[in-house]
Amino acid sequence: MKKTVLIFFAIFFSAVSSQAQKYITKSGKISFFSDGPLEKIEAKNNKVNAAIDAKSGLIVFKVLMKSFVFEKALMQEHFNENYVESDKYPLSTFKGKITNIKDIDFTKEGAYDATVEGDLTIHGKTNRIKTNGKFIVSSNSINGKSSFTIKLADYNIEIPKIVTGKIAEEILISVDVDLKPLKR
Amino acid sequence: MKKLILIISALGLAAGIYVWFYVYNKPHTDYENKPPDYIMTAKELYDRFVENPNLNYTGKVIQINGVFQSVEDDDSLITVVFVFNEGMFGSEGVRCTFIPRFNEQLRKLKAPGPISLKGFCSGYNGTDVILEHCSPAN
Repeated sequence: MKKTVLIFFAIFFSAVSSQAQKYITKSGKISFFSDGPLEKIEAKNNKVNAAIDAKSGLIVFKVLMKSFVFEKALMQEHFNENYVESDKYPLSTFKGKITNIKDIDFTKEGAYDATVEGDLTIHGKTNRIKTNGKFIVSSNSINGKSSFTIKLADYNIEIPKIVTGKIAEEILISVDVDLKPLKR
Repeated sequence: MKKLILIISALGLAAGIYVWFYVYNKPHTDYENKPPDYIMTAKELYDRFVENPNLNYTGKVIQINGVFQSVEDDDSLITVVFVFNEGMFGSEGVRCTFIPRFNEQLRKLKAPGPISLKGFCSGYNGTDVILEHCSPAN
């Protein structure tokens, strides 16, 4: 696993060192929503790191779990302590690639459909995911949006027995990032 | 017997009200009035996380001081940024997002400049140490 991560970063850094434009944000937004019979759960995180290499299509997200904000403090506490165990697994990551990068021109203003595929790591468990999204290229930034569903069980996130069947087993994750050119 | 049922019902109702208001609807932590768990310079905080990304400062209130390089104003959230390195996400260091009620005060800051602040540490994301719910430290 460590070797895979090292190889990925080596590829990414070599891409970064080339002349291709990189776009980044440190204030990307990710929210999740689940609608179970007992209650709706919604949380937002607006301190997400994201980077895209416009030439290769490599894409990286880094998300601190303790930055998710819930309306109710108790829910936030349960999320961190009982579900994602954020003291043990503080960081979630996505490392992947825009698979249709040839169809997207990040130098030309417009809206582009994208397909992204890569490894999503949450709660220390990594799964391969594939999702669709949209990039809107404007004169000084790129907005990227996507939403997809994950199963909590796929990430070894256990629902306490007392609320099994009352809390949704799947959550909808929405991503919204405004990326700016990386200045060196 | 009736009296006993009434007393038990009243106690049950009181317990329900207590759980509703003080457990289910308990307020978020007031980090502004919480004393810091650790006090250090911004550079020390960054260096310690770089050395050990699993440092147990995550979830603690940390007070730091140092010279900040920039102030970012985004979606009414103001972030004071300390820079100590360059990496794949550009500048790396400590990023401190303040409680919105300090926005006017922060918009008057001139970067670079010295600052002392405290906030909730949500961790190190591999590039930056993130402090949230920050307030000026007295």
